[in-house]
Parts: sequence; C-alpha cells; structure tokens
Amino acid sequence: MANVKLTKVGKVYADSAQGSVRAVEAVDLLIADGEFCVLVGPSGCGKSTTLRMIAGLEEISEGVLEIDGKRVNELPAKDRDIAFVFQNYALYPHLTVAQNVAFGLETRRTHRSAFVAAISGGGAARAAESARIDARVAEVSRTLGLDPLLARYPRELSGGQRQRVAVGRAIARDPKVFLFDEPLSNLDARLRIETRSELRTLHRKLRATIVYVTHDQEEAMTLADRLVVMHAGKVMQNASAQECYERPANRFVAGFIGTPSMNLVDGRLENGVFSAQGVHAPIPSTIAARSCALGVRPDRVRIVSRNAAGSIAATIAAVELLGDRTDLALDCAWGRMVARIDADLAAGMREGDAVGFTFDAAHAHLFELGECGARIVI
Amino acid sequence: MQRSPLANALLWFVLIIGTAAFVFPLWWMAVVSLETPERAEAAITGSGGIALFAPHPQFANYANAVRETGSRPWMGFVDALSNSIVVTVLIVLGTVLSSSAVGYAFARLRFRGRNPLFLLMLATMMLPGQVTMIPLFLLFRQFGWIDTIMPLVVPAFFGNAFFIFMYRQFIAQIPESLVEAARIDGLGHIAIWWRIILPLCRPVTAICAVFTFIGTWNDFLGPLIYLHSDESATLAVALNGFKNQYGGLEDVHLLMALSVLTMIPCIVLFIAAQKTFVEGLARGAVKG
Repeated sequence: MANVKLTKVGKVYADSAQGSVRAVEAVDLLIADGEFCVLVGPSGCGKSTTLRMIAGLEEISEGVLEIDGKRVNELPAKDRDIAFVFQNYALYPHLTVAQNVAFGLETRRTHRSAFVAAISGGGAARAAESARIDARVAEVSRTLGLDPLLARYPRELSGGQRQRVAVGRAIARDPKVFLFDEPLSNLDARLRIETRSELRTLHRKLRATIVYVTHDQEEAMTLADRLVVMHAGKVMQNASAQECYERPANRFVAGFIGTPSMNLVDGRLENGVFSAQGVHAPIPSTIAARSCALGVRPDRVRIVSRNAAGSIAATIAAVELLGDRTDLALDCAWGRMVARIDADLAAGMREGDAVGFTFDAAHAHLFELGECGARIVI
Repeated sequence: MQRSPLANALLWFVLIIGTAAFVFPLWWMAVVSLETPERAEAAITGSGGIALFAPHPQFANYANAVRETGSRPWMGFVDALSNSIVVTVLIVLGTVLSSSAVGYAFARLRFRGRNPLFLLMLATMMLPGQVTMIPLFLLFRQFGWIDTIMPLVVPAFFGNAFFIFMYRQFIAQIPESLVEAARIDGLGHIAIWWRIILPLCRPVTAICAVFTFIGTWNDFLGPLIYLHSDESATLAVALNGFKNQYGGLEDVHLLMALSVLTMIPCIVLFIAAQKTFVEGLARGAVKG
C-alpha cells in the first residue's frame, strides 16, 4: 500500500478547433496510505480525468504525480502498480471468471511460456508460480464469494456478479492503489447500496489506498474518509464528508453536498439582519454590512403558523412523502425553498396551504456572491 | 411476425427457384463428371441436350482425373494439391494476421495522419487488379520471385484493404475500457491485439478466413501468371491442363471430375464456418 500525492496536476486537451481545453486545473491532493478518497462532482468536472491520470491512462499535462513518494508521471500504467475498476467492468468476454481474475497475474509471471521454462530448466519455478497464481485466485474468490462463478463467462453473470468479478480482478494483484471509476452506477438502487457497504467492509479488511470517483454525493459521503469535491476542473473542497457537509468551503459545495440541496438566497447582511426581497431574518453576527448569500439546509427549516413572530410567509407548492420525513417545497418572497420535516409534523399539510417558516440561525451559512462564492465565517 | 399462407407460399416459391438457379450448375457439373467421354463432350457442346442424371455413371472418371493431373501420373495431383494447400494456408494466415493488426491500429491507436492514411487505404480498393498486374509482375521479376509462391503469399502479409476496413469497424465497437484494462494488466499493443482483440474478432476472422480461403483456392490468374513450371502449379491451374491448347473437349469429363474434387474443401469450410459468421462474441463484455 502507498500514498498518492498530486502537486498542481492539470490536464489540457489540445483541440485544433477551439485552441485547447483545460479539463483539470492545478489539483493538489495528498491521499494517505490506506485512505478511502472519493472524488465527487457533476459530470464534466474533471474527476474521471484526474483518476485516469493517476492510473496512467491519460497523460499528465502539468504538475507532478507521486505514488509512494516516487514520481510516476512518465511511468506507463502497467508499471504504476495500480488496479482500475471500470464503470462497465471491462471483463474480458472470452475468458472465464477465473481467467479474468488471474489475468493480471499471468501477464506478470516471470516464466511466461511453459515450453521455454521446460527447455531452460525453469519448469519447477514455473510450476511453483502457477500454484501461487491458483492459490491467489482461490483466496480472492473466497473473499468475494466468487467460487460458484469461477468457470462461467462474463456474459453468463448478472450485473452485480460482474461488478464483483471486476473487484476480484483488481484485488488479485494486490496493488498499491485501487482506482474505481463509478463502479456502482450500472447497478440498480438496492444492489448499489448493498455493494457500497461491501466495498466499505472490503476497504477495512484490505487497508487499501482507494481513489474512487462518483457523481453521486450520497455514495461519496457514505464511502469517503476524504471527500474531494470538484467542479469545472478544480478542487472545491478537500476534507472529511462531515466537514464538507457542516462547513462547506464555498457555495458550490454547499449546493452539491446534501440531499435535498441547501437553500441559497442572495441578499444583504447588515447589523445582524439578513434581507432579501424585502424579507428580513436575524443572523446573529458582528461582521460589517455586505452583500452575501444565505444558505439554510432543508432540515434546519421549521414550519410555523403564518402569524408567528419572525416567521416568513410562504405557500406550500409541493409535498413529497419519504416515510419518516416529508419534503415541502415552499414558495416565498425568496423564491423556492425546501423544508424537510418530520412526517408527523407534516400530517395534514396540503399543497396550496399558507404557512410560515423560520430557520435555525445557528446553523445558517453565509457565502460570497457568485457560483463558487467562498464561505463567510459568521 | 405472422405471415399469411399466401405470402408464405410465395416466399417458398421464390426461395426454391433461387436455390435451384444456384444449385443447378453444381449439379450439372457433377452429372457431366460421371458421363462417358462422348456424352460429356456432347453435353458441353450442346448437341446432347441437358441431362439431369448420368444414365451410366462412370465413377472411374474420378480416379482417371486424379491420375491424369499434371505431367506425372498420380503425383501431379499430389503436387497441385499440396501447392494449393501451402499457398492457401499462408495467404489466409497472412491476411487474417495483418488485416486484424492494421484494423486494430486504425481503430484504437491515436497517431498523426490516421484518417488520411485510412482513406488512402480505402482508395486502393478502387483500383482494379488488372491495373497493377503488370507493374507488380515487373517488380516481382526484379525480386527474382517468378515461379515461386512469394508473389502470391507475401502481399497477403501486408493486409487487405477490405478486411482491414471490416476489422476496424468491428474493433471500434469493442469497448475502449477492455483495451485500457489490458494495458493496466501489463500488456503492450501487440499482446493486446493477440490476446484480447483477436479472440473477440472471431466473427470477422471467420468471414475473412473463409472468403480469403475460397478466393485463393479458386484463384486462377495469380498462379497462372507467377507459377510457370508444372510442379509449382496449384489445383486451379492444373485443371486447365485438361483443356488442350486448341480448346479440345475430349477430356471434359475429367475436367469436371477434378473440379468437383477441388470444390469440396470450399463447401465443407463454408458450412463449418457459417455459424461463426453470425455469432456475436463481444456480448457480455460490459453491462447489457
């Protein structure tokens, strides 16, 4: 196992039509040995490109990539000692599960040809090597429960089984770093959640360094030791999932992490009062008057009666039942706000009802204006 | 889909007529090969009408045809047969290996000038063989390759434009991630081609191999131009020996008998490979 260090890593695609396109910009990242690092962001944010640069499938245009303290920019993929799990699994269709799992070991054996080994006196060494490969395949298939599938071909497996084989192929070689490119996105919702916790367990068991790419922020939060939120080729925040959720570094992270998304309202803070569209809300703060955006998580919004003191008038635009919780879409002077409340409290609320809401000012966030406006410490 | 009985009957009718039209020449060839020399000659000149069965089948025609092939009794046939086998096997091997390798390069490698080169290669398909025949002959004579199989075999190892095109189209459909997985697993381009791409291209390889086999096995012009001596002739050229230089037809029953024998490998191969043509092995590579 090893750590992975990216220093000012960037990717520029030369495109004759439009000059050049910068897909990834100055990414600094230190992934510690044994850490589960998740790169998350909307599609086109550069997360997959970053992963592919770590793998060696994509050339690094700028910056330095180090694995285990050694610069590997120029090293071909096969010599970086990494394993890659593809979104579509990329199992070799003409090989059985056992052959798929053993493939990476077979290509790395010192005595490739049985014939050459036999005439050069390496027969015994080759036999020992074969035995080692067989043992490794058996061990991996036990870990992942692949035993009953070993003789089958990929086309005879279900999506979940293929995914498992792809993971098996990755761990067989015992690489320094595992790279996952949206490995769960082809599975149905239930299987995805199951496999997610299996991956987590596997990570604990192997103590492997993992870099994992996903666009699903929920998946990202449940898996990550370290969450790297990316947007437009740049790292927006690099912290624990908890930190990203509780103290988003900027407005983009605030809106991206958490479901439903944080409510964000552009307005002005003056003398401890936030005002927008003529509606005021107290934010206990001593910072100087300025324009800013207010962020409130839906679960920090409370529904009150319209004439309660300090409440903001709203109309319920939609009611979404989730079982124990209910999401309310509220139309108010600030635009559309979402509130997530206990289902018991939401009982009897209908679309079109006139209500009021307040929010928990202690858990409100302030950001500078703009798409990626930085967090303002209250 | 359900067809009406009338449409069904019509379909069968058309198919039967079509089949008969294609099978008849083969059948008639077999019939003539079993006739007596006189009846065979009459059949060919048209004076005897067309018989659908040989009234007195002469199975000895086959033994005679084999004995009379070439200038050495019995051995002439063995020479021609082994020449045909050697030339055909080498050409099929060369065409499959080179076309698939070049097709892989065009489909998966990024290099400067890839598209212009591909177009240039496709453009070569528009040149009729007759145009290049004489320059090629002069070139191969310079090499001292006349009366050897080199002029027939060596070009096959430099790819065939049509099959390169077919391989490229097929390989372009194989998910890129398979190639990337193989790269991470430690394979270079040659090994990826050999161990991943070629096994997945089985349907194309079957088409390429069978068509090349039939084309080469039946090729008359190429061996006629380059193989001058009797011992180096292939079966297709040896067949011509049964027609004397004045176009005489007294041995036409033997010609037909040897023709039937010559065709057997093609028919067997075609039937054997038919299933692979339609097989899509790449299914199951990825989710789907």
